[in-house]
Amino acid sequence: MILNVLTVHVRRLIHNRVELLLTFIVPVAFFSVFAVIFAGGVGGGTTPKIKVALVDRSESAFGATLIRSLQNDDSLRIMRDEPPASISTDQAAAWVRSGSITMAIVVQNDRRRTGAAALAVELLADSSDQVATQVVSAVVSQTLGQLSSRQASPPVAGRPARESSPEAEPGFAAESSFAAAGDPQGTSNFDRSPAPRLAINRTADLPPGLLAPRRGQPVATDDRFDAASMVRVVDVLGENKSNPVISMYAAGIAVMFLLFGASGGGGTLLEEKENQTLDRLLSTQMTMDQLILGKWVYLTLLGVVQVTVMFAWAQCAFGVDMLGHFDGFLMMTIVTSAAAASLGLFLATLCKSRGQLNGLSVILILTMSALGGSMVPRYIMSDSLRDAGLWTFNAWALDGYDKIFWRELPVESLAPQMGVLMLSGVALLVAARLLAVRWETQ
Amino acid sequence: MPSRDRVVSDAEFDAEPTHRREVVTAAEQPLLSISDLHKTFGSFAALRGVSFSLAAGERLAFLGPNGAGKTTLIRCLSGLCKPTAGEIQLAGRPIAARGGRDVIGLVPQDIALYSDLTAQENLTAFGRFHGLSGANLRDKVKWSLQWTGLENRAGELVGRFSGGMKRRVNLACGVMHDPQLLMLDEPTVGVDPQSRHKIFAMLDDLSARGTAIVLTTHHLDEAEQRSDRIVIMDHGQVVADGTIGQLIGRTIGNAKIVRLRLSELLSTRIHLGGSEPATIGDIGRDTIETRMNNVSASLPRLLGAVTRHGVEVLDIEVHSPTLHDVFLHLTGHELRDE
Repeated sequence: MILNVLTVHVRRLIHNRVELLLTFIVPVAFFSVFAVIFAGGVGGGTTPKIKVALVDRSESAFGATLIRSLQNDDSLRIMRDEPPASISTDQAAAWVRSGSITMAIVVQNDRRRTGAAALAVELLADSSDQVATQVVSAVVSQTLGQLSSRQASPPVAGRPARESSPEAEPGFAAESSFAAAGDPQGTSNFDRSPAPRLAINRTADLPPGLLAPRRGQPVATDDRFDAASMVRVVDVLGENKSNPVISMYAAGIAVMFLLFGASGGGGTLLEEKENQTLDRLLSTQMTMDQLILGKWVYLTLLGVVQVTVMFAWAQCAFGVDMLGHFDGFLMMTIVTSAAAASLGLFLATLCKSRGQLNGLSVILILTMSALGGSMVPRYIMSDSLRDAGLWTFNAWALDGYDKIFWRELPVESLAPQMGVLMLSGVALLVAARLLAVRWETQ
Repeated sequence: MPSRDRVVSDAEFDAEPTHRREVVTAAEQPLLSISDLHKTFGSFAALRGVSFSLAAGERLAFLGPNGAGKTTLIRCLSGLCKPTAGEIQLAGRPIAARGGRDVIGLVPQDIALYSDLTAQENLTAFGRFHGLSGANLRDKVKWSLQWTGLENRAGELVGRFSGGMKRRVNLACGVMHDPQLLMLDEPTVGVDPQSRHKIFAMLDDLSARGTAIVLTTHHLDEAEQRSDRIVIMDHGQVVADGTIGQLIGRTIGNAKIVRLRLSELLSTRIHLGGSEPATIGDIGRDTIETRMNNVSASLPRLLGAVTRHGVEVLDIEVHSPTLHDVFLHLTGHELRDE
């Protein structure tokens, strides 16, 4: 009997392609997505670069050299074409606040000191992106150390500065190799102000791919030079917020469940088709247009309430300021819910049965959530994954919520996100209506 | 499928009637008029030139084996399915016209209700879908609950109802707008005899109010007892159309069916004797079935012939032709055969 039960279930599994897909393919696919996100992808070819702007306010040769070195650093992507000397600190801070760059590296003079040590580097940071702050701090400190050692002892001709041997520049490695070795003592020297930061001494917890290029690399120093004390992180965004990632996760989870809810709601169409309620409905005064629009309005309103409840709880329990940003929140929530409702109806009209819809929606929504930032922040993803994320509702919705709650940008700045969500929502709704034609004419 | 002897007429052995396609014309101004209706799905022809008409207040039953085209026809009549060719007119207007929905009520084969709503909520919802509102809607919901005998269960979820109760609500949702034509697809599938009786009592009530009723069914007795006319379909075509008496008269005739059960299997066919060289019975069978216009004259002749053959008659059964006999004659198989 037990063998018979086993045989029956194996045969049922073999006949059910959706279940087969969910059992064997989806877990492997998701493992691969997260492996790519956290391990930097196969061969590290997709390691994320941090978007920065370089600002040179030092008016010194050493500052210019530092800027040039940073421009050639593999970990950084320089986002602005303007000469670093022409960019003001305020301008750079504004770019960080708007999200067009992740950090700004401002090189300036510390008039209390002389020589190489007279430089001061301010890292204008978004406190929600803890990974970027730690990586850029490490990169700048290392570069400073290398340049300082070169100034004290010029590198051998034809040999890159980074390859300077530890024997030639003894002493500095102990201070600056923390980034690679994860030395909490070394990292704790950073001055992090004004708000308390998730400590840089968590460098060891970073995804290894981010710091791998510098792991174990010897660097130079001199006795008078303390790179750590020259680098200061200034939070230009989120400095007064108690928990920088709560609003991001509230939005991420809300959008993911919004999609699941919309998919489930859209599935009522298939239920109605399967039990002939659809036939009965279409034999009344109601048309398919009215039926689909009615469901769309319902799913949209339900989504708005669902997300509002989520954020209301986030406000009560975790201090996310929903009421303080209610206009932007409402705009983003309505548009996101409407787009999710359209997706739910599109998937329902695309499928032939409720079972098929369940399988497809689980696969699609989990994939969209993984790529779109509902599960892990997109800023730790590689460029290719971030680009792929732009094909998901989640990424656009989360960017919008990020602008509202974190960057506190005016509602006009939501235009790109709202535009994409509205257009895709309309397109999917039209597609759903066209697919539903088959139920009217069969 | 039970074994049956070839049906012959009676001792005079009338020629067997051939399959005939007949259309009974309804009243001068039929409520529903269908002419040469075709519907194909890819290469499969579900309907192949169906034509008939229905008068106001008439009750019509569609009979046919699975796949005969009954459900497709109901879907076409209710505007859910666009015919490939042909015309359907309802009250003199093409059925595609939006106004057609005012006069049609549809009761699908499945329980087409929201099981997570109460009976009252379902009735209210479908009343609104049919265009009712305000006091009219409230009155209709109240009437429907009384009509279905569910006043005391109005606030219960339909999902918790018995099959028969669901069927009644299913029916009520299709008639709230007082349709002139009600179409029911297998309205008594899966219900107990008591609920079946209740449902047909409800349909009789509607019929008495002047509602024309079209139903498909697998139950021959339902068709025979609860309809004014019967349309038999097979392979997408109407193979017979008329009252039960007309169908019998035009197909197998009104001759009585006589069946003898014998004491042993026949080793040879039985000669009836007299001037006719006719023989009867099949070798290897222990029953004989034949048809007789005049039972009192023909039955003694048959019994004499059997006795002369040396076989004892154990049982004699004489009955008038039924719809079941007509159906078998026209389609060549039992109603529930695939």
